[in-house]
Amino acid sequence: MSVVGIDLGTTNSVIATVRDGQVVVVPAAHGGYLHPSVVSFSTDGLKYFSREAVARRIVDPKNTVYSGKRLIGLSFRSKEVQKAIARLPYELREGNNEQAVFVGPDRTYTIPEVSGLLLGYLRQCAELFLGDTVTGAVITVPANFNDAQRRATIDAGRIAGLDVLRVLNEPTAAALAYGFGQHMSQRIVVYDFGGGTFDVTVLQVEGDVFEVLATGGDTFLGGDDMDNALLNILAELFHAEHGIDPRKDQAAHARLLIAAEQVKCHLSEFPEARGELKNIAVGGQGEELALRFHIARNVFETAIRGLIGRTVQTTQEVLASVGLAPSQIDEVIMVGGTTRVPLVRAEVERFFGRPPRIDLNPDEVVAWGAAIQAENLAHAGENLSNRAVLLDVTPRALGIAVTGGFAERILDRNVPLPVEQTRIFTTSADNQSTVRIQVCQGESRRFDENVPLGELELSGIPPARRGEVAIEVTFRVDTNGILRVRARDAATGAAREAAVNVRGGMSDVEVAEAVERQKSQESPIEDSLVPDLEAT
Amino acid sequence: MPAQTFEQLAAFVGQVFPKLDQLSYYDLLGLSSATTEGEIRVAFYRISTDLHPDRYHMLPDRELKDRLETIYARICEGYRVLSSPERRAAYAKALNEGKKRLTSSERESRAPQSPEDTIKHEEAKKFFRLGMMSLARKDFKGAVMNFNFARAFEPNAAVINQKLSEAQAGLGKTGGPAAK
Repeated sequence: MSVVGIDLGTTNSVIATVRDGQVVVVPAAHGGYLHPSVVSFSTDGLKYFSREAVARRIVDPKNTVYSGKRLIGLSFRSKEVQKAIARLPYELREGNNEQAVFVGPDRTYTIPEVSGLLLGYLRQCAELFLGDTVTGAVITVPANFNDAQRRATIDAGRIAGLDVLRVLNEPTAAALAYGFGQHMSQRIVVYDFGGGTFDVTVLQVEGDVFEVLATGGDTFLGGDDMDNALLNILAELFHAEHGIDPRKDQAAHARLLIAAEQVKCHLSEFPEARGELKNIAVGGQGEELALRFHIARNVFETAIRGLIGRTVQTTQEVLASVGLAPSQIDEVIMVGGTTRVPLVRAEVERFFGRPPRIDLNPDEVVAWGAAIQAENLAHAGENLSNRAVLLDVTPRALGIAVTGGFAERILDRNVPLPVEQTRIFTTSADNQSTVRIQVCQGESRRFDENVPLGELELSGIPPARRGEVAIEVTFRVDTNGILRVRARDAATGAAREAAVNVRGGMSDVEVAEAVERQKSQESPIEDSLVPDLEAT
Repeated sequence: MPAQTFEQLAAFVGQVFPKLDQLSYYDLLGLSSATTEGEIRVAFYRISTDLHPDRYHMLPDRELKDRLETIYARICEGYRVLSSPERRAAYAKALNEGKKRLTSSERESRAPQSPEDTIKHEEAKKFFRLGMMSLARKDFKGAVMNFNFARAFEPNAAVINQKLSEAQAGLGKTGGPAAK
């Protein structure tokens, strides 16, 4: 029985384990170590993964789900999901409890189910490669993922038949991969610019202790935005040449997006990219229309400078929140494929006044750390010495709605985990029998300006005048970053303890059903998808 | 204080948990009030190496783990308070007043919402209130009726729909006729 670390990424995922004290990364079906985070569905219930799924983004865009990480754990009505829908070719609909559900060819799938299918595929790849069953996993998430997003990620793991040992913050995982067993004393920054998210984290590393001093980021900023910037450049070139906007045609849009990714990678190595994209769209006479393009790196850099500027701004804010200057950082670790873009490296170097570390593979370092932590957790207790201790923090302030449309903060951001805080509130009306605890995250004093997370009700409060009842509200966040809320009537002792009823999340019943369904329907992965063992 | 085996951990938790509220942050971190900031970090790291909940991830005893988490959360709280000069000064004051934690024990002047606060329409609010009263009496039929009236005035209020389905579920359970 093995345990694994999984970096479940927006664009690609990586799965690794520890064997004989060494980290081993599971190779992907078609070479390399990056498994595309894409699942494609067919009408007969078959699922496609890996390169097959990527290919189906072009031939069957409506049934091919990618960038699921941008949707997981979010309410269908959130502005993030609405923004994503506008540019995703597959259909999403509002399901139970405000969930975003994918409308598949045979039925609808919740986002944790889709991610669960992907995780199940990764688990099978690892089992074939290791020749052993995989039972437990540490799955990484962006540091600024909220409670609902973490829960949904755990649900996805459970649906894939995995015991999720921990959801671990990606930058913390990267720091662990960098510093574990190195006996160092350093203050480091992890700059994590992935496909769909940006995170920056400041850590103090002292021997086996990794303390997060501060963390911040942007869940909706990543390499995908650079691809979109390039797609717009290509689309406008095409429009200028043929008078047709290819963004209005789904297939053309998908083709251009894949080309944009390739052009981005090319421009990361070379000063210009030239080429011809055949068969982008069909013209008025039924003829195939091609695009000949020539893009200089500086044109691309002009288009993305603003995106990188936002990351530097966030980095500055996070450092300032703990009173540190860029010069007080010993080392900068680059994580995520987007850090391969030369302008990203240049801007980070300019800000810190030192070149960032690029010797650790930015695509794999997070999975490495996850594998190390999975091993640590699975063997906790066998040997209490020489294990890394990860001291993480709350990424956002958490509070509850109070009268007048305000939010009353209960937990600050960047507080060490685990944390437990109690505040005492009262009632707003005479003989009020029920209070509704609406939980939100964010720093604003106005409830509406924060992100609603869910709610909890405490009923059966005995009749009393307004202000005379004392209601204790306790927030507890564990080392997974998962919130539990307890509301208690101090007079009667009646308490309601609950995971808040999370908006946009799956219910326990739905998860249990999905686990069963996946168990009964899982088919062995096809031969063509078996990782090439020669690749190690 | 350090625990090296599960037996030692259980003994430590059994000893500290019942009197947690009587221990100051200094007691928990094993420090004197004259400690420097650097020493606070060293002490916290040393204790974390022994007591961090991840160390006991595979421990089957949930209650023990839960209590350990409560103790360790308090230690984290102490570390956060003592490592900031402002918070540490405020804590010195609190200690003088006999408090062991630097948290607000005052009753908030503001109250959480009652369920009807999110309803805008006055008539909807009125029927919602009636529905809540029916629900409290377990009169599910009356509750369904009142919530349906409320919904007629304000169809998109989540709280009305939620209570309506609660009342309908109650009606189903008691074997009454389902709401048409």
